[in-house]
Amino acid sequence: MRPLLERARDNLRGREVVAVMSGKGGVGKSTVAALLAVGRGNTALVDLDIFGMSTPRLFGVVGRLHEVEKEGIRPFEVGGVKLFSLGGVVGDRYVVLPGANEGGVVEAILAFADLRGVDRVVVDMPPGMGEALLALERVARFKPVLVSTPSAMSVKVVSHLAEYLVERGAKPAALVLNMAYVECGGGRVYPFGRGDDARRLAERLGAALVELPIDPELESYVGRIGEYRGPAYRELLKAGL
Amino acid sequence: MHEWSLALSVVQTVDRWAREHNAEVKRVVLSVPVVSQLDLSILREAFDMLKMDSRLEKATLDVKVRSPRYRCRACGYVFGHEEVSSQIEALVGKYGEEYPLHLVPELLPAFVKCPRCGSHDIEADLAIQVEEIETI
Repeated sequence: MRPLLERARDNLRGREVVAVMSGKGGVGKSTVAALLAVGRGNTALVDLDIFGMSTPRLFGVVGRLHEVEKEGIRPFEVGGVKLFSLGGVVGDRYVVLPGANEGGVVEAILAFADLRGVDRVVVDMPPGMGEALLALERVARFKPVLVSTPSAMSVKVVSHLAEYLVERGAKPAALVLNMAYVECGGGRVYPFGRGDDARRLAERLGAALVELPIDPELESYVGRIGEYRGPAYRELLKAGL
Repeated sequence: MHEWSLALSVVQTVDRWAREHNAEVKRVVLSVPVVSQLDLSILREAFDMLKMDSRLEKATLDVKVRSPRYRCRACGYVFGHEEVSSQIEALVGKYGEEYPLHLVPELLPAFVKCPRCGSHDIEADLAIQVEEIETI
């Protein structure tokens, strides 16, 4: 019997779990996950991208360690978000792990995260379809939000993930098309294509397509993402995710 | 303080099992890897407090601190805890109370290298497990 697996299940039971995922890295999952968590009440953001750990950087808590109390790991409270990250356990250093260990780490974080007062848990998943995905499936039912860029290559990888999720009964709620366009001279420029593949994929899945612009201002919010209320944030808010 | 949250996990998990099986629990055997460096007196104290009003009210907690054999997947070297204990002590010194393997023992390969070839590709059974439940 594995008490941490059971505890992780108990911890997430009755809470909405939104998993921000992509088959591919570099598409902006961490930013989308952060923006899905900021400005909403009673929300926790759990960074399960244990090899990337961009979330501490986005929120300006790199190197800080979580306090651990009787009730479990205390979140960093930044910009109204309760944030949990493996970065808060290992500090600012790399993590290399055999695949089999990854699931145990995911279970431990979800088991020990002190989620009192939290109704909604946004999970920032690592890229790919490996142990972290399987571990999340073991622990909770979740609402997938897929992230892709308009690149056909990225959409193809995401479509494989979508197929798998549908097969598992976890139909994606939305496909977020990140870096879809730039507002320029009163019009829109599509530097990575019009996103036709993504549109077709969203239609096939019956999922909402949410197009996020490239916002050059966003970079200046790295370290204080909780304050960002620019167009990418507003589009996600409008989509009701 | 991590011992309390671990004790709570154990009590809740075993209590649910006992309710499902309509049983009263007399003894729980918990197995933890040595790298977690748990304070067993705190763990037992927490267990004894948290077991009240559960199917574990009369239960004792036995903790087996196991010293796993480690195997390097890169060079095949099999070794014991004594060969990496200095690496772990250095880690405890660096992190203090917030020592990462205390909270998540499965992080061991991120911090410990094979003493022969230096690889982090190390496998061992590091899971915290309830090994045995004895009922009345």
